[in-house]
Amino acid sequence: MKNLLFLFTLICLTQFSYAQEVTLLPKDETGKFTYYEVVESTVKGDSLQARLSNFLTRNKKEIKLKSTDAGKLTIASGKIVIQKSITIISHPSGEIIYQFNFEIGEGKYRFWLTDFQFIPYQKDRYGNFVPSTTIGVPLEKEPKKSNAQQWEDYRLQAAKYAADFAKRLKDHLVNKTISPLPLPEKKVISKTW
Amino acid sequence: MKNNIAALSLLLLSTATVAVAQEKASPLEISGSVDTYYKYDFNKSGNIKTYFANDQNSVSLGMIDLALKKTTGKASFVGELSFGPRGQFQSIPDAAGGYDPVSNGFNIQNLYVNYAFSDKFTMTAGYMGTFIGYEVISPAANFNYSTSYLFGSGPFQNAGIKGTYSFSDKVSLMVGLFNEWNQYSAIRGVSSLGGQLMVSPVEGWTAYINGLHGLDGYGNYSTIVDLTTAYQITEKVKIGLNAADLSAGDDQFGYSGVALYPQYAFTPSVALGLRAEYFNYKGISGGPSASVTSFTLSGNIKSGGLTFIPEVRFDNDKDFTQGFLKSNLTTLNKSAAQFSLAAVYSF
Repeated sequence: MKNLLFLFTLICLTQFSYAQEVTLLPKDETGKFTYYEVVESTVKGDSLQARLSNFLTRNKKEIKLKSTDAGKLTIASGKIVIQKSITIISHPSGEIIYQFNFEIGEGKYRFWLTDFQFIPYQKDRYGNFVPSTTIGVPLEKEPKKSNAQQWEDYRLQAAKYAADFAKRLKDHLVNKTISPLPLPEKKVISKTW
Repeated sequence: MKNNIAALSLLLLSTATVAVAQEKASPLEISGSVDTYYKYDFNKSGNIKTYFANDQNSVSLGMIDLALKKTTGKASFVGELSFGPRGQFQSIPDAAGGYDPVSNGFNIQNLYVNYAFSDKFTMTAGYMGTFIGYEVISPAANFNYSTSYLFGSGPFQNAGIKGTYSFSDKVSLMVGLFNEWNQYSAIRGVSSLGGQLMVSPVEGWTAYINGLHGLDGYGNYSTIVDLTTAYQITEKVKIGLNAADLSAGDDQFGYSGVALYPQYAFTPSVALGLRAEYFNYKGISGGPSASVTSFTLSGNIKSGGLTFIPEVRFDNDKDFTQGFLKSNLTTLNKSAAQFSLAAVYSF
């Protein structure tokens, strides 16, 4: 019995700590959920831009460059695949698409993630999950009661993703020197004179 | 008791481990659907015999569909099994290649492996849902519950090997070698050549131009050309189109048809859609052709994983090829009408 109580408490604590960690994204002046951050930086503008390009290339399955304005304002579109999970069973149930903006200023840079929209998935003829539409529903839209809990979860997942994305981006821009993408492995030629 | 707790703890621990590992490796995906329906034909006969939703005045089964998918690095597999009339003898051949409800026992809708050689080029081999046509076997992926004449006449599955090259997000090309339609193993060798060109001219509009030449499900060497396209015009309005032409060897058999699918979503959970279809059976050896027109109005009402599909359908068979009967069940009739209500649960 003690063991059961201990296990129950452990599960509750895990859930509680998860709930504590994630809060909804704040909204900008137009009412859109937005993750916005200004970062002081000693890295030169050109290097920042190159490192950003490197970051986008390395994460091309997650985010794609849309436009860049003479190295100042860079816009990219990204997606977060939402997994529907029941214990160890899981499959994608949809994706949240967003717009990423990055701008370099004097001794600093800023970036923001906004325009979060949910696109549900459906299974195609080959058994794969694919977007059921190309037009997403903005996360700001108020859901019906029956869908409220699920929608709130999408908003929380977007917030959690944005915080994680920001950390990865900042780490990359600060710590990483621009390393070229991995080259094909060289063949080892042995026993040659 | 202690053993149970230990087992539960181990399960939770492994779940947590899987959750952490998810960032780098895809978990085993398990998904599927379950469907059931009621149909009432206004002439009290199972007049409209296109695939699925055939039983008159009966609460009947569709199928339970179970799919597994796993991706490890560049390689993946899909295995999809179906149990029930829709998923067995109505759409899956048995070991002998027939559709006998007694002997049917393979239950396989999809069974293939896939390897992505690069971001642009993938190869797939196995038994796959066909690339031809707009509608599919799974009710979870169709808007209407009953299916079109085009769907019922075309292939259901193609076993073979295919390569797909993506030139960009807007253009890709698939070419493959296949067995005869709907066969687990080839009877006359790998006899079919097929291809699919995908183009996406604007955001939301995708078109597939398909072609397949080889031994068809009717025992003829035939060529089918198919156009399948859909355009999500606004958040609420979507329109789809399917057109196909099949010509058999010596032109002794064939069909052509077109179906239009306008849909309107009142909310993300409630939508209404029409299917308007014209289908023509080509005359054998230059004989007279026969045509059917069909209008199907369906609603989609979603709540969680469940979708209710109320549907009314009117078919006109001016050439009496479908054997529609009047309510006395003996006199042939040119038209047939039915109402059906289906419930489809996807997970």
